[in-house]
Amino acid sequence: MKRAMISVLLALSVAMAGAQDFKAMLREIDSLGDFGGQDFTATYTIVSEKPGQKPETVQVRVYRRDERDQFVFLFLKPERQKGQGYLKVDDNVWFYDPESGEFAKSTIKESVQDSEARNSDLSRMSYADDYDIEKSSEGKLGAYDVWILELVSKDSEVSWQRVRLYVRKDKPLVLKEEDFSVSGRLMRTVSFPPSYISAGGKQIPSRILIVDEINTGEKSQLTLSDVAVGRLPDDTFTESFLKRAR
Amino acid sequence: MQTAMLAFRNLSRQKRRSVLLGGAIAFGVMIVTLIDGFAGAFVDNVSENFSNLLAGHVFVEGVEKSPKGRDLEIIRDDLALREAAEAAGIEAMYVSRRSGLQGSFKFAGRTATLRVQGVDFAAETFLAERLALASGSLENLPRDGIVIPEPIADKLGVAIGDRLLVTTRTYSGQQNVGEFAVAAVIKDPGILGSVSAYAGRDYVNELLDLAPDEYQALSFYLPSLKGMDEAGDRLHAEVSSRLQAFERKAPGAEGENPILAMMRGEDEETWTGVKYRVTTLNDALAQVQQIVDVLDTASLVILLVLFLIIMVGITNTFRIIMYERIREIGTMRAVGMQRGQVRGLFLYEALFLALGGAVAGLAVASLVMLGVGLIDFGLDSPLFLILRNGHMSFRLDWARVAGKVAIVAFLTLAAAFFPARSAAKLDPAVALRTAV
Repeated sequence: MKRAMISVLLALSVAMAGAQDFKAMLREIDSLGDFGGQDFTATYTIVSEKPGQKPETVQVRVYRRDERDQFVFLFLKPERQKGQGYLKVDDNVWFYDPESGEFAKSTIKESVQDSEARNSDLSRMSYADDYDIEKSSEGKLGAYDVWILELVSKDSEVSWQRVRLYVRKDKPLVLKEEDFSVSGRLMRTVSFPPSYISAGGKQIPSRILIVDEINTGEKSQLTLSDVAVGRLPDDTFTESFLKRAR
Repeated sequence: MQTAMLAFRNLSRQKRRSVLLGGAIAFGVMIVTLIDGFAGAFVDNVSENFSNLLAGHVFVEGVEKSPKGRDLEIIRDDLALREAAEAAGIEAMYVSRRSGLQGSFKFAGRTATLRVQGVDFAAETFLAERLALASGSLENLPRDGIVIPEPIADKLGVAIGDRLLVTTRTYSGQQNVGEFAVAAVIKDPGILGSVSAYAGRDYVNELLDLAPDEYQALSFYLPSLKGMDEAGDRLHAEVSSRLQAFERKAPGAEGENPILAMMRGEDEETWTGVKYRVTTLNDALAQVQQIVDVLDTASLVILLVLFLIIMVGITNTFRIIMYERIREIGTMRAVGMQRGQVRGLFLYEALFLALGGAVAGLAVASLVMLGVGLIDFGLDSPLFLILRNGHMSFRLDWARVAGKVAIVAFLTLAAAFFPARSAAKLDPAVALRTAV
C-alpha cells in the first residue's frame, strides 16, 4: 500500500512537472528584465575579491533601450577608468577609451574590468531566445521550492553553452544560475538573493553574487542603485554621448 | 695621364690637408653605408624571424559569419585547399595546418596567459627539429600534452607531468575549460616565442569546439623569401576558382596594411559559408617595407646634407690651394700647360680625394659592421625581431653602394669645379707676378 502511494505521488509529481510550461516560464523570467518601450538606467557597483588582493570596486552606469536592444555602459569608478564605456549598436559592441578617443570592437562576452561579471550580465538577455530547455526537475534551494532547468544554447552567440537555472516555484524569479563550459565543467555560480527593487512595474534583483568556480576564492558582488525607468534622449545611445560623458 | 700623376703627387705633398678632407668624405660615406647596411638586412631579418614565428610565408585562413554577423575563424574544406595549392604549383618546404587558442593557465594558484598552437606533430616534423628542448620529450606526446616555453614553466612553477588548468574560449567565443599535461619545456625562445606554446591539434580543436579535420590556418613555408607574393597570387587565383575568397589587397594609398584593409572589408560584407583569405608574409610586414623606405630616404638626405657641408669645406680648401699655388700655376702655364690641363689637375685631385675617402669610409663601415655583428644581444633582447640569431646583421646592395660613391664623386667634383675654373682662367703673367 505504502509503495503504491509513493508510486502515485511520484507519478503525480512527474505529471505536474510535465504539465509545467517551462518555455513560458523562461519568457516570464525574461519579461522581468525587459522594459520594452521604456528605457532603463541603473548604477551597478561591482566589488571583486581575489585571494591575496585588496577588493576592487568598479562602478558602472548602465543605460538600456530594450526595444532596440541597445545599451551604453559608462564607467564611473575607479578613477583610472572613469569615462571608459561600452556602446551596443545593432549587433556590434564597441569599447570607448577617452585617453585615446578611439572606439575598439568588443563583445558582450567580455568581462567587466577584470571582475567575474560580464557585459551580458548588465545587459538585457533572453533565456527563451538564446536557450532550449534540455531537462527539468524539482528541488529545494534554502527555504524555497524550486524548478531546476537545464538549458542548452541554441547557437554560439552566448557565453555559456550550458546553464542550470534554479527558479522559485511560487514566482518566476531566478535564485541561482550555474554556468558551464563547453566541456561541461561548472565555471561560475550566480546567486540572486531574494531582495528586489521595483521599477517600471517589475521586480529586479538588487544584489547579484558571482562566484568563480575555476579560480577558488574569486568572486564579485553586484549591487544596483539609482534605478529609473523612462524615456531617455535618443542621443544617449550614440558615440557622441560616451565622448561627452567624461 | 701626366695630369693625373701630378694631381696624385699634389695630394701626397699636402698629406695632412688631404687626410682631413678625405676623412670628412670618409665619415659621410661611413654613416650612409651603415644606414644602408642596416636597412638592407632589416627586411630580411624581420621577415625571417616572422616566418619562423608564423611557420610560413604564404597563409590561408577561413572566415565564417556567425548568425549575428561576427567573424569566426575556421577552415572546413581542406581537400579543396590542397587541390588549389597543387594547381598553383606551391612548392613548399613545409606545410602546416594549425588551430590556436588563447588561454589563461593556472597551476597551484599561479596564472599565466599563453597562446597555444594546435599542431599536427606527426605531419610537422620540422617543428620538432626546430624546438630546442630544455626538458621532457616530444616522443609519445599524450593527447592533452603541451610544450611550454621555459619562462612560463618558471612562472607557473611546473615540471614535466604536471597538469595545468586552462580557461579559454571556443572558436565561436563560448567559455571552455580544459587540462593540459606538461610534456616538454622549450628553451627560452625570445620575446615573442615566450608566449607561444604547442599542443596536439586534436585536443586544441576539442577545446575550440572544432571537428578533428577542421583547423584555422594553413601555412606554406617556401624555400626562400623571394617569390612569395607571386606564390600568394597564384594560390589566391586557384582558391578563388574553387571556393569563396576575399580579394587580395595591395598596400593602400595611405600605407594601410593589406591584411587590415582586407579585414576591414570583411566587417562590411556578408556571406554564407566559409570565405578564404590568402595572404603573404610581405602583406603582414608591409609596414616594415615602409620603414626601409624611410631609412633609404634618410640615408640619401643624410648623404646630401653631410656633403653640402663637406662641399663648402672642399670649395674653400681648393680656393686656398689655388692661391697657395698661384705662382706654380703661372709657371706651368708659362711652360705650355693648357687651361684645360690646369682645370683637370684640380678636378683630378678632387676625384682622388672622393674615391680615397669613399674607400676609407667603406672600409671603416665594414669594420664597424663586423664589430657590431659580433655582439650577442641574446634571443630575449627587445631588438629580437631585427636581429639574426641574436646578432645585428648588415647587408649591402653593391649597386646602391656604387651609386652613392658616384654621388659623392660628383658632389666633390662640383665643389672643386669653381676653384679649378678660376685657376684655369689665371693669366700666367699675373700669376707669376703675384706674391703669396
